[in-house]
Amino acid sequence: MESDPARLPVDAEGKPLVPRPQPGYYPKFSTLSQQAFWDAATRTVVLQRVTAPPPVRFFTAPEAEIIQRVIEHVLPQDDRVPERQIPILPFIDERLFAGRTPGYRFEDMPPDGEAYRLFLRAVDLMALEAHGAQFLRLPWHEADVLLQSVHDGKPSGAQDIWKKLPVKHFWTIMMGDCVEAYYAHPWAWDEIGFGGPAYPRAYFRLEGGAPEPWESHERHYAWDLPPGCVSGEHEAEAAHTDTPTHGETGSH
Amino acid sequence: MLRRKPLLPILGLLLVGALLYRPRRRPTARRVFVEGMEAVAAHIREGRFQRGLSLVAGLSSILAGADVASEHYRGSYNQKIMWSPVVLSGAMTVAGVWGAFSTWAARTVLRWTSLATLIDGVVGFGFHIRGIARKPGGWRLPVANIIMGPPIFAPLLFGVAAYLGLVASYLRPEESPVIDPRTKAARLRDFLLRRPPPAWRVELREGRFQKHLAAVTMLSTFFSGFEALYSHYKTNFKYKAQWTPVIMTPLLMGAAGASMKSARVARTWLPGLSLLAMLNGGVGFFYHMRGVLRRPGGLKQLPYNLIYGPPAFAPLLFAACGFYGVLASLMRRETD
Amino acid sequence: MSFLDTPVGGAFRALQDDDHHLGPMQRITGTMRCFRDDEEVDYLVVGVGSAGGVLCQRLARGGFKVVGMEAGRFWDSERDWVSDEAGSHGLYWEDPRVIGGTDPLTLGANNCGKGVGGGSVHWAAFAPRFHPSDFEVYTRDGVGADWPISYQDLKPYYELLELEMPVAGPAWYPWGDPHGYAYGPHPMGEVGNTLIRGCTKLGIGVSVGGPVAILSGSRGDRAHCIYRGFCIQACKVGAKASTLITHVPDALVHGAEVRDRCMAARIELGKNNRVAGVHYFDREGKARFQRAKAVIVSGYAIETPRLLLNSACPEYPQGLANSSGTVGKYLMAQAGNVIAGRFDELIRMYKAPPAHCLTEEFYETDPKRDFARGFAIQTVGPLPIAFAKQMMAAKGVWGWGLRRTMMDYNHWCALGLLGEILPWEDNAVTISATDKDQFGLPVAHVTFNLHDNDKKLIAYGKNVVMDVMCAAGAEEVVQESRCAHLVGAARMGSDPATSVVDGFGRTHDIANLFVCDGSVMPTQGSANPGLTIQALAARTADYLISQGTAIFNTDRRDMTPPPVRRELSPPGTHGDGVPRLK
Ligand SMILES: Cc1cc2nc3c(=O)[nH]c(=O)nc-3n(C[C@H](O)[C@H](O)[C@H](O)COP(=O)(O)OP(=O)(O)OC[C@H]3O[C@@H](n4cnc5c(N)ncnc54)[C@H](O)[C@@H]3O)c2cc1C
Ligand code: SF4
Repeated sequence: MESDPARLPVDAEGKPLVPRPQPGYYPKFSTLSQQAFWDAATRTVVLQRVTAPPPVRFFTAPEAEIIQRVIEHVLPQDDRVPERQIPILPFIDERLFAGRTPGYRFEDMPPDGEAYRLFLRAVDLMALEAHGAQFLRLPWHEADVLLQSVHDGKPSGAQDIWKKLPVKHFWTIMMGDCVEAYYAHPWAWDEIGFGGPAYPRAYFRLEGGAPEPWESHERHYAWDLPPGCVSGEHEAEAAHTDTPTHGETGSH
Repeated sequence: MLRRKPLLPILGLLLVGALLYRPRRRPTARRVFVEGMEAVAAHIREGRFQRGLSLVAGLSSILAGADVASEHYRGSYNQKIMWSPVVLSGAMTVAGVWGAFSTWAARTVLRWTSLATLIDGVVGFGFHIRGIARKPGGWRLPVANIIMGPPIFAPLLFGVAAYLGLVASYLRPEESPVIDPRTKAARLRDFLLRRPPPAWRVELREGRFQKHLAAVTMLSTFFSGFEALYSHYKTNFKYKAQWTPVIMTPLLMGAAGASMKSARVARTWLPGLSLLAMLNGGVGFFYHMRGVLRRPGGLKQLPYNLIYGPPAFAPLLFAACGFYGVLASLMRRETD
Repeated sequence: MSFLDTPVGGAFRALQDDDHHLGPMQRITGTMRCFRDDEEVDYLVVGVGSAGGVLCQRLARGGFKVVGMEAGRFWDSERDWVSDEAGSHGLYWEDPRVIGGTDPLTLGANNCGKGVGGGSVHWAAFAPRFHPSDFEVYTRDGVGADWPISYQDLKPYYELLELEMPVAGPAWYPWGDPHGYAYGPHPMGEVGNTLIRGCTKLGIGVSVGGPVAILSGSRGDRAHCIYRGFCIQACKVGAKASTLITHVPDALVHGAEVRDRCMAARIELGKNNRVAGVHYFDREGKARFQRAKAVIVSGYAIETPRLLLNSACPEYPQGLANSSGTVGKYLMAQAGNVIAGRFDELIRMYKAPPAHCLTEEFYETDPKRDFARGFAIQTVGPLPIAFAKQMMAAKGVWGWGLRRTMMDYNHWCALGLLGEILPWEDNAVTISATDKDQFGLPVAHVTFNLHDNDKKLIAYGKNVVMDVMCAAGAEEVVQESRCAHLVGAARMGSDPATSVVDGFGRTHDIANLFVCDGSVMPTQGSANPGLTIQALAARTADYLISQGTAIFNTDRRDMTPPPVRRELSPPGTHGDGVPRLK
């Protein structure tokens, strides 16, 4: 996929940053280069993820096309060269195909697979209502705006569907699936400077944010959102407003 | 026998050395001090410093004991044997101080306590090697596991202090006559058994073990310097000064090693570098303590920060290596 | 060069042996005893988790025939666990459940475990004790409930479990009933340093380096912590305590059977108002029945009430042992808001165990505040996926905004609030009318609503944590609401009309049916529950052992407190560590 310069993050002067194999502030860092230090079980799991993403079996081809487009909006990767973009759809598909739940279903939500299908119908319907075109035909910005309304919990159309599909809950589940695929990938770890698997060898520079000998120092450079992108920063969601979504990640 | 003059360069570097031969006429405090230093040097040269060395061994055991107690606390005393160096360093302190007052104690209590401590150090070394092997990845991850495992050479460094106690036990007390080094009992025994005292004992007794002590200096500098290397590497050499003990280590080791061959080096480079090492250790101690106070929580978390901050005693142990070097340079050579 | 680039001798390879590994050194040796279904065992423990593991070990040592039935797998730490966030889903109970209420609890990775060791496999291992006040909340504050037992009843078991796990911590711990720890504290990661900095600036005391059930020095065949920060993905190192490595091996040595991948479906009520055994689905999915003289349910605060409710029978139409109607009710979770701060300096919060520093300065009721009870502040260390999810909730980011925030992952530091939520009748586990699991069993429906006191406490508490974060120097501070640690739902009490079990975990209704896990807690304080759950299990076991066979053949309820049996600890428990200050 050719990246449209208007969709690229920009430098201090507002010039688009050329797509790189590895965005982020740790240009030389590679967790995969450390795989000899990982235990075999972990290495197998991570390499499988990198080299053999699962096939798409749950979504039909047309569905897959729409969901792929949605993913490109909600977790854009235009700053990555195409061969280093991280596959996300296959991992969502695999979960739905295997019928794995995140361990819960909101009482007012349909099962996850059904929810995704409802969502796909909803975005198409919203696109039709607002622009008279299918979602896939929408210009980039319009699609962004449409999804922004879903993110905000105030979808701009298809209200009948959203009655069956509580929008905030769905957004949480979908975004959760996306980050679960993206930030599980070693390339994403390299991008954010996360050390990756750490057994048997672990860390010894625990304090002061110091890098291990095999980690990289951070090299900051000017990086700004693509002009006109709507998915920037947002007001922090106040706790316990209309439908608070409680975090599902374990911590303490 | 006493052919040589006091070893100038050493005391020179002690900053008072410059005063040694100069204003002889002025009977001042300075003069008293200088003469005192000369007397000490003479005692060392002649092996008549049992009391002094016992005291040094005893007092330095307090340091070693505090160090090992806090290090082993970090390891939660998960094996009973981890108590042994703590107990022994207490015993060493008692024995050392006692030995300073009683020749009998120095020759018996201190000798055997020191020997036990020395053996404990060697055994501890074995345990530390095993401890590293038992960490995930074991010796296949030498860098990570030496850094995060039990401090590999610490037990041997601990043993070096015990070695001083052992040496002290064979020396003569300060007040003994310059010549006939043997005790009555030893003379009697030698007479009965019709055999001369072994050469090494005579040498020790007479202060003729410079090469020997130089070798010890070399080893202990290696142990201590290696620890500085990996623990400073652990913090990524955040301050340039963290390189100094690492750089000093091969230099001092080299000087100590060369001293075993050359008497000249033993009188020049060895004392010079040893004094530098002592200075370095002193400054390091200051910075480590500052580091402790600058940790999050500072004084409010003092016990914790002492245990997990920069190790307070490590630079002092490095300084101790310098001390051994100075001592060595003051000795006579075995062949003298 | 070489040994910096690869391990000496090349990459770490897959294991060549057939041993069952629990960490790099520990192994399960010997063969496990196996009971036949028709053999009437003494105790059948449903769920070999935090509580179940301790129970099996104690009862086996006490000479009983014990079967621990576990729905998940009997883990081999080297083969089954990975040092990877996305690859660790198997550790959590992710079978379907339905959630609802005004503040639905998203369970996911944030509830019980599945597999031998249960939640103790993926807990962060913070192991503070409850405070004496926690046992008499109703008496002191007029809210919540009182426990039928006091802190003093549990104290010897706290001391025991702190040695068995063991718990590392400061030599002196000032809150609650002040005490010391026999195992030295841990070094700090930068998250802990941040908490110390912030608290010190505000004059708040902190406990540095514990209490946390992670080895700070290696012990026996368990290596010490290597500060890899993957505790919630299970500790491959064997440094973090889980009953899988601390108690289950000893249980097997003493003749217990741990029957893994077997899902208890229904408890059978036999003659004379006594339970006769448990219907379950075995590894192949075949329905079977195990006979037992007594049954202990230790399935976590959701699965325990679900099993009791699913075991309804003509004698107990509302659910087994539920004549009071309280089974499933008074479910509690702790407020677990995560407060994240962005710093100019690098933090790298993935290093060091998430749990290494905390403060309980705000634990007790303070009349100056407008709510009862209090909260704690603890370190957490979310890995990238968890952190991305937290940022989505906390900052509402998506798309490029999310990518940008995540590019600064190493500049963020996260602290956790741990606030006490009171027991309310409407927070409940019921049986879903619609959803079934893979065995066709109705799943749990978990309803959760925050009440006034809870909301005030959370609002206040999260502000305090945000202040701490600011005081530590953060320039942007955000927070995500969440809950942690589910307990309650089969609570203990002295009144059979308002509680399910008595002070030893015996159901009021049925003399040979027990509940022993987090679900028996009437209130929960703001200390993480794991240590208390295991201490309760050890106490219940002592009780059962001192009752001998009386449990099996009489309905008499003897409430004399049992003697504390230190000799039942796993080998190597006593004699190590430093003398405890108190
Ligand atoms: C991410 C995270 C971090 C945490 N951190 C901490 C912490 O730092 N400190 C702390 O104290 N606590 C912590 N906890 C909480 C702690 O893990 C739990 O409170 C504790 O493990 C609960 O113990 P339990 O015995 O009640 O249940 P569990 O330990 O969950 O055991 C229940 C077991 O029963 C089995 N089971 C259930 N139903 C059945 C059935 N029908 N048939 C067969 N088997 C069944 C399950 O598979 C499971 O193994 C944390 C929890 C999470 C999720
Ligand atoms: S941080 Fe320590 S306790 Fe946690 S998983 Fe790693 S080694 Fe285990």
